[in-house]
Amino acid sequence: MEAKKEFRWFSIVQHVQEQDYLREQHKKGWKFVKVTGLGMYHFEKCEPEDVVYQLDYNDDRDKAEYIQMFADCGWEHIQEYAGYSYFRKSAEEMNGDEEIFCDDESRLAMMDRVYKGRLLPLLIIFFACLLPQFVMHLTGGRYLVAAFMGGVLALYVVLFTIFAVHYHRFKKNMGK
Amino acid sequence: MDAHTRKVYVPMTETGFYILFCLQTPNHGYGIVQRVEKLTDGEIRLAPGTMYGTLSKMEKDGIIRFVREEDKRKIYEITELGTEVLQLEKKRIRRLYRTIQEEN
Repeated sequence: MEAKKEFRWFSIVQHVQEQDYLREQHKKGWKFVKVTGLGMYHFEKCEPEDVVYQLDYNDDRDKAEYIQMFADCGWEHIQEYAGYSYFRKSAEEMNGDEEIFCDDESRLAMMDRVYKGRLLPLLIIFFACLLPQFVMHLTGGRYLVAAFMGGVLALYVVLFTIFAVHYHRFKKNMGK
Repeated sequence: MDAHTRKVYVPMTETGFYILFCLQTPNHGYGIVQRVEKLTDGEIRLAPGTMYGTLSKMEKDGIIRFVREEDKRKIYEITELGTEVLQLEKKRIRRLYRTIQEEN
């Protein structure tokens, strides 16, 4: 079977963009198979079809029961990747628009799970390790090491800012 | 009822209300989806992500409890605390309804 691979990078709060990307691919006749590594998307050739893709982040669950509930509602489980579960359902089987969340409270609750599961550990490393080491090297006169650490810290700050901006944009767009 | 329960569940979301309301009779997630669809003439179709997250949270907060598992489907029922919450909500919604009736 004909297949293709595409590299795409979506940050952990860009799941909406990622869903749209997968839906577009399916419309063009490329059925999503899996994502591997840092963001290598594998597809196989299929009949073009409108299929809705949805991502859920839930690391506190009984997997078999969780997948069963989605299956009961007509959502096919595809894979798990970086804490996210991938689901899809053909638009034809739906009554109007359907998503795996039906209110904004639960959409935001998912964002909060992403934050607790992914961003909080990074923040802890930032404040507990990186920042004190940076100050230690700087006050100890080891400027080369300090400059390197400073670079890592700057990268962190950029990452956090991107996450924060995405989060607030998501919150602002809620209810539309 | 403690401050946390009151803050989170009074008032509660429409989704939350329907889930708690249905769990006066033991049921599993998909069973609730079907029941709510029937109760609302298909107007409200609860989604699985919302259902799963809400059930987990309600169980943690002690307003529903796990009863047993059947074919990979967890069956829950309302607790006494949950019943208290539901009574408060019913009272609030009746008041809303009364206001609408009187003002129209």
